[in-house]
Amino acid sequence: MTIREAASSLGAEIVQAEFEDADLEGAYTSDLLSDVMANAKDGGALVTIQAHKNTVAVATLVDIACIIVCNNRPLPEDMLEAARDEGIAVLLTKENQYTVSGKLYKLLNHGAAG
Amino acid sequence: MALLADFHNHSCLSPCGSLDLSPRNLACLASARGIKVLALTDHNSSLNCPAFAKVCPPLGILPLFGMEATTQEEIHALCLFTNLEASLAWSEYAYSLILPFPNDPEKTGDQVYVDEEDNIEGEVEYFLPSALDFSIEYLGTKVAEYGGIVIPAHVDRSAFSMASQLGVVVKGPWAALECVRLPPRVYPPNPGSAVPSARREGSPLNTLGYPLTTSSDAHYPEDVGRRPFELDVAMEELAPHGVSGEADMEALKEALRKRPRF
Repeated sequence: MTIREAASSLGAEIVQAEFEDADLEGAYTSDLLSDVMANAKDGGALVTIQAHKNTVAVATLVDIACIIVCNNRPLPEDMLEAARDEGIAVLLTKENQYTVSGKLYKLLNHGAAG
Repeated sequence: MALLADFHNHSCLSPCGSLDLSPRNLACLASARGIKVLALTDHNSSLNCPAFAKVCPPLGILPLFGMEATTQEEIHALCLFTNLEASLAWSEYAYSLILPFPNDPEKTGDQVYVDEEDNIEGEVEYFLPSALDFSIEYLGTKVAEYGGIVIPAHVDRSAFSMASQLGVVVKGPWAALECVRLPPRVYPPNPGSAVPSARREGSPLNTLGYPLTTSSDAHYPEDVGRRPFELDVAMEELAPHGVSGEADMEALKEALRKRPRF
């Protein structure tokens, strides 16, 4: 499932749309960036409420393709700029990390959201 | 007589910092802004402090040495030393507990340490802003054992602060708390609100009666000296052997105790 397909199935808004729409290789949910660095996998999505440009820096280091910001957290412009520079997708949803993770798990493992 | 002080500054060693902000350049810019007591606090490393120790005194600046440590909770805290060797010993210990994730200069920026003439001496391997594997509570105890003081950084910021990571300011052996604004107010993200946080009213942060400071958190030359604070102490008292000598830790602590509290 590609990033755009996932965004559509999750009902998430694509806030940073300048990226290559590749298949998502899984996802990782965390609000501690050091934990993301230690455990997230290449080519996946990051589900988080950490809406600032440091999240993009960490995503860049571990090759995360897409950041899904939960709880409608306000997205600072410098974060979006950094994500644009790196070609990382940024999605925004009003749902929380639990709900997004559950839906994403179903989407990536069974092909359809419950 | 009060001295203008700034305890939170990065240099070219921090990957998020400007390569143009060498210890020498930082000290020159701070001097031009009238700062007399200046600290160098790169992320989780004091490796640029030896150069900083050399460039400050000729400019009439009393240097403090340290780092901005990141704890397990991803709280940022300034660790400050008056003695360069103590700061380097602490830096070596802290770095031994960093998440061993290699920095990629192409992606996140360079982590270089330099000499007093801005010549590059080396590069740090692991991504410095990562977390060190201990709690904020442990940090407080451990820095004291090395002879330093701890000032939790930008406690009122919405990321990497006590307020953002723990929700409240917690008790500890803090010499002061660094705030972005005085009195500190916190601006929690407001789901669905179209009003930028800067224009919302925010709510006061309970700082538990700790003395409060501000500092620049400079990463770029243009940030140097943007938020200094006044330290109520005479230079002769703080630096009994002049700015080339070591600052007096007790005088420093006493001056911090005189800072405003809210």
